[in-house]
Amino acid sequence: MLKLLLKKQMTEIFRNYFYDQKKNRARSKFGIFGYMVLFVLMMAGMLGGMFTYLSLTICTPFAAAGMDWLYFAIMGLIAILLGTFGSVFNTYSCLYLSKDNDLLLSMPIPVNILMFSRLLTVYLMGLMYSSVVIIPAVAVYWIKATLSLGVILGSLLFILLISVFVLTLSCALGFVVAKISLKLKNKSFITVIISLAFFGAYYFFYFKAQTVIQKLIANAAVYGAKIKGSAYPIYLFGRVGTGDLLAVISVSAVIFGLFAVIWAVISRSFLKIATASGNTSKRVYKEKAVKQRSAFSALLVKEFGKFLSSPVYMLNCGLGILLIPLGGVLLLWQGSSVISILNSIFGERVGCTPLLLCAFVCMLASMNDMAAPSVSLEGKNIWLMQSLPVTPLQVIYAKLSVQLILTAVPVAFCIACMAIIYPYTVIELLLTAALLLSYVLFSALFGLFLGLKMPNLNWTSEITPIKQSLSAMLALFSGFGYTALLCVGFMLLDGWKLGFTGYIALFGAVTLILCAIIWLWIKKSGSNRFARL
Amino acid sequence: MLKIEHLSKIYGDKKAVDDLTLHINSGEIYGFIGHNGAGKTTTLKSVVGILQFDQGEIYINGKSVVGNPIECKREIAYIPDNPDLYDFMTGIKYLNFIADIFAVSATDRKERIKKYADLFELTADLAQPIAAYSHGMKQKLAIIAAWIHEPKLIIMDEPFVGLDPKASHLLKGMMREVCNAGGAIFFSTHVLEVAEKLCDKVAIIKDGRLIRSGTMEEVKGDDSLESVFLELEEELC
Repeated sequence: MLKLLLKKQMTEIFRNYFYDQKKNRARSKFGIFGYMVLFVLMMAGMLGGMFTYLSLTICTPFAAAGMDWLYFAIMGLIAILLGTFGSVFNTYSCLYLSKDNDLLLSMPIPVNILMFSRLLTVYLMGLMYSSVVIIPAVAVYWIKATLSLGVILGSLLFILLISVFVLTLSCALGFVVAKISLKLKNKSFITVIISLAFFGAYYFFYFKAQTVIQKLIANAAVYGAKIKGSAYPIYLFGRVGTGDLLAVISVSAVIFGLFAVIWAVISRSFLKIATASGNTSKRVYKEKAVKQRSAFSALLVKEFGKFLSSPVYMLNCGLGILLIPLGGVLLLWQGSSVISILNSIFGERVGCTPLLLCAFVCMLASMNDMAAPSVSLEGKNIWLMQSLPVTPLQVIYAKLSVQLILTAVPVAFCIACMAIIYPYTVIELLLTAALLLSYVLFSALFGLFLGLKMPNLNWTSEITPIKQSLSAMLALFSGFGYTALLCVGFMLLDGWKLGFTGYIALFGAVTLILCAIIWLWIKKSGSNRFARL
Repeated sequence: MLKIEHLSKIYGDKKAVDDLTLHINSGEIYGFIGHNGAGKTTTLKSVVGILQFDQGEIYINGKSVVGNPIECKREIAYIPDNPDLYDFMTGIKYLNFIADIFAVSATDRKERIKKYADLFELTADLAQPIAAYSHGMKQKLAIIAAWIHEPKLIIMDEPFVGLDPKASHLLKGMMREVCNAGGAIFFSTHVLEVAEKLCDKVAIIKDGRLIRSGTMEEVKGDDSLESVFLELEEELC
């Protein structure tokens, strides 16, 4: 039975990798291989590369100082943070909000088996995110420091313990969100606020971590002794990676013990929470005057309604709404000192500083990718859009508009902040604004293109199209890729020879041409695809 | 009102609908019956533009659903077999959304929402999110939404499933009203007693092919619709 449930969960998550919905048949082996390679390249290449670099930087000095445990402790804590960050929002929706909960609970399936199969999805997400940190860290340690049987066994167990601890934390946070949600009316917003607080804490620690790591490298022995004295569990945790038997036994006992406790808590309350319809009082209908809206306005309001109703959607695809204005405020606050630092670094290459400012805003705007899963999110409601008297293009345009509005407005604010802190000429400012807004258009169109190319209407949890789909992942990473290309083209590929204005005019023009190509595809093939879904 | 001409729809190697021709006139309640997988839902979905068919033509008031899909959709309403509505909306928001799409004026929609929501005893629940509705409540909401723009042709797939006896009775009355006003109803059902009492005409489909159609008298003669249906099923096995 467990095998069957696991197969169902896995099929749902990886459906797009194995099944071509357009052709209504399984993908070829080559297609599956291609998709897998692409996924691995994105995860291992981009995120893994970043953490491999960090590991290479800190491994040798720590190992040389005999502080191997501190190296494992730091990398392990980063892995826990990233793993929890990556999977915490899955737990609530995956465990409690899956649409097939009622069906499966009505079958002779023990609740624990059902929970186990659900949590396996959460575990895999946590494992995936924590692995991109800890596997490179372990590999670097084996190559740069010590390689013995004890170290191999210890570090492999370290990877396992981290993934279990990430699952424990995700479950605990998911449980808290579920309990709170039961009591509240505006669940979506409260969940978003709680999650944003978590995000805030994550980024606070993330930025602090860089300074702390630098200090730790410089004074490894002193800080090592301090941590060992005042935070002994962290010392033990780090020692697991080095293969210390006592540490392995004690840390394993604590982590598995904690997991057993959270499992007991969740399994005791699972049925109650998963089948609860909410304790909030019933809203009584009072007739109100309504205005007649155009069909497009109705579609737009519907798309906004969908976005605002789902914390998972808002948090995973709309973080830019918050981060872009925050970036603008940050520029106003610290902009002049950032500019002088950038000027001192890239002074001889004119145009680097305003270009990096552009790249900064593009990067923040990439955090908005609500268009990508919007097609799949129609799910079983797709019959409505197909049977109502609206054209596929109207529906697609409404989906596009949500991302454009929610990104262009904050980006416009950011442009205003940039204009205040940087001495642009009028032409430079206009071209900067044109480039950034054309990028906003491009990212929305490209996200929608991916959503139409890789639709998945057969999901039981929203997390599948929002977070576990290839289209959403590609949309996010393509934004980062665009930003990287913007910088690489200028700094490494002689783009600077065109000057700042010439370069961004060219880059903006290419972006707009790409927008036109994608739009033409959406207008012809994309709308046909939508009609045939 | 509705002309289905030589409709064929193929899924892979299987012909779900095979050369189906049906004409439904104004004022008619037309029942569509057949075993599970006979091709009823495929036909209905093809009529309302959800499925694109392989051969044949479908006309609504003389307009082709392929050539003028939007104009055709303006004249019809569709209720699927499973009312998957927007869970994130409240009942009233959903009704207003549908009314906006069909450009129903504020005055008309207010009047119709009040009339039908009161009739189905759903008014008090209109401020609730659809996610909190039972299957029957969703079905009632789908019916109100279908009636909100006063369509000329209503296509329904198993409309009585999930409805309580009172709501079923009301729906039958509303269907007759539509036909009396010059509209038409085309619906599928497995409840043969309902079809026998309610329908002016009936079509029986098996394995995608039309095996009998006509007025209720022509199809069943002196027998019950159930016995005729079962006989036909056995004959063709």
